[in-house]
Amino acid sequence: MNILIGTVLIGAAALWLWSYLPNSQWRHASYRASLDTFLFTAPRVLVALLGAGFFAELLPEDQVRRLLGAEAGITAVFLAIALGPLTPGGAFVSFAIGAAALKAGAAPVAAIAYVTSWSLFSTTKIFAYELSFMGRQATLVRILVSLPVPFAVAGLAYLL
Amino acid sequence: MLSLKNTEADPPPLRKPRKVVDGSLLVLLGFTLAGGLAVLWTSGLDRTIEIVAETFRFIALLTPKIAAGIFIAATLPMLLPRDRVGRLIGRESGLRGLVVAAACGAALPGGPMMTFPLAAGLTLAGADLGAMIAFISGWSLLGLNRTLIWEFSFLPSDLVWTRYLLSLPAPVLLGLAARAVMQRRVA
Repeated sequence: MNILIGTVLIGAAALWLWSYLPNSQWRHASYRASLDTFLFTAPRVLVALLGAGFFAELLPEDQVRRLLGAEAGITAVFLAIALGPLTPGGAFVSFAIGAAALKAGAAPVAAIAYVTSWSLFSTTKIFAYELSFMGRQATLVRILVSLPVPFAVAGLAYLL
Repeated sequence: MLSLKNTEADPPPLRKPRKVVDGSLLVLLGFTLAGGLAVLWTSGLDRTIEIVAETFRFIALLTPKIAAGIFIAATLPMLLPRDRVGRLIGRESGLRGLVVAAACGAALPGGPMMTFPLAAGLTLAGADLGAMIAFISGWSLLGLNRTLIWEFSFLPSDLVWTRYLLSLPAPVLLGLAARAVMQRRVA
């Protein structure tokens, strides 16, 4: 359902943009540029999504939940931050794991750290999309400046 | 939204082609092959084939979205007036540019297939790295669609509120940090 809504929205945006192309010369140039972008992007998305599928299979989900649930305090927060990027798949997966960890007794601070870390550093997003579209330098700068964020958010949440 | 360039008279701008096979693709390929072999080793051939089939089904489902996203990424920079984008979210756009970029990111409803092409397109159209990092962080930390649909359905609402409010200043701060880093590189 969500994919359908997203597809309709992004398709409408594409059509709206297309309507601004003034003549056939522009349309032709736009198709050429689209083909170039496709040739660059398609192999990356394909390989990354296959990789995400394989790593999802390898990740011991029960153990992830147990460790996040059993440990409280700073170790759990560090573990949560480390696990964020490793979570394959979309928002659905990370929120579900966060909720499961909470039920198993994880500190809310660990769940917040985990969701924040996943939001910023999800390897699926970085490898499948960000590196393909933004390039290595922009991606590296973003990751470097963002590194303190999960720690800061978790620290502040702990103080609250 | 920005008004688009009146392009009737001008020819379309030229683009530089990019190298399809580069280091990052090879690293990615290495990880994926290693993962595939590990799954083959631990779960057997049937499961490996199943995962590949699942992935291709997922990609088929995503294809219309990916196609539209690629078209937007390729076409938007051709049509956006560089000087206006630059003024709004370029290097000299100041704090206001970062706030605008972060808010646009938070309001953007799509997934990564929408966000990163758009960010790449805006970069080509004159946005600076600081604004793009504010934009991407705004989307990933504060995305309204994801928080309203998914996060509130799974996690307790006080936890969601705490995370959201604490993350609120992050995109703009990260944009400022990125600008500081880039300035030091140039200087």
